[in-house]
Amino acid sequence: MGQVIFPNFPTWAVAKVFVLFGMAIYVVFGFVVVRQVKLMTDTLQLGYESIAKVLSYVHLLFTIAVFIFALMIL
Amino acid sequence: MPDIFISEEKMEEEKEVKENNPIQKEVKEMLGKTLIKDNKKSLIASFLRNPRGVGFEIKEKEEKIELLLRMHPITNIKWILVTIIMIFAPIVLSKFPILDFLPGNYRFIAILGWYLIVTSFVLENLLTWYFNVYIITDERIIDVDFYNLIYKDISTAEIERIQDVSYTMGGVFRTLFNYGDVFIQTAAEKPNFEFLAVPKPDKVVKLLQDLMIQEKQEAIEGRVR
Repeated sequence: MGQVIFPNFPTWAVAKVFVLFGMAIYVVFGFVVVRQVKLMTDTLQLGYESIAKVLSYVHLLFTIAVFIFALMIL
Repeated sequence: MPDIFISEEKMEEEKEVKENNPIQKEVKEMLGKTLIKDNKKSLIASFLRNPRGVGFEIKEKEEKIELLLRMHPITNIKWILVTIIMIFAPIVLSKFPILDFLPGNYRFIAILGWYLIVTSFVLENLLTWYFNVYIITDERIIDVDFYNLIYKDISTAEIERIQDVSYTMGGVFRTLFNYGDVFIQTAAEKPNFEFLAVPKPDKVVKLLQDLMIQEKQEAIEGRVR
């Protein structure tokens, strides 16, 4: 009871790979949002297109920043 | 039968006749009454009459937007409340030892990742609400739908193809905030249009009926517009 089956298994290294993989997918999602906002603003001109675009870019920057931050501190 | 070619002289004559036509005047007055009242200019409004600076990719040059609709702002309350809960969730959950098995740096990234999800959630809901609009022009109705930031669906139907218009408004919230669903049956490719949770559904139905009368009048006179 309480015995570790693989004492040398690099648990946190594997966790890091999974976290970074998840973050990378999120960065791709950030690009999809930017693309989609462009599609929306091309389809409809409702008056606040620039704000929607700025929001999508801020979101993308946030995803990239979290990814880089995770890469550095994990 | 409508003329294929009309000389400029004849067009001017017809214009004069139209302007003096009592039925045409009556329809114009009716539309004027429905359209001019409370013309809000705010572009985040969900009931916008004769909006300025609004366009869409399939808009024709002479087409005039009579009404722009989106879901009533109160319908956003659900995701706004969820967002507030999501924002404070890490603070509340920090009182419980849920993430204590994680090293400090992983815990920090988990919280950052959580707020990333919150940001995406807000952005998706906000953009979906803002860009999912229903447009009524002097010639047709347009339903613009974006699903989950990935799919786009634009349906249109000519006003003259509208067969029946009705609306429902029930429940405490809907009665309190005066919004409901407008159902439009058409003879177009898409037989049913649903303008869901739009403000002032009675006025929307009235406007559509007025536009239908106007279209019938135009058809009788053999005019295109």
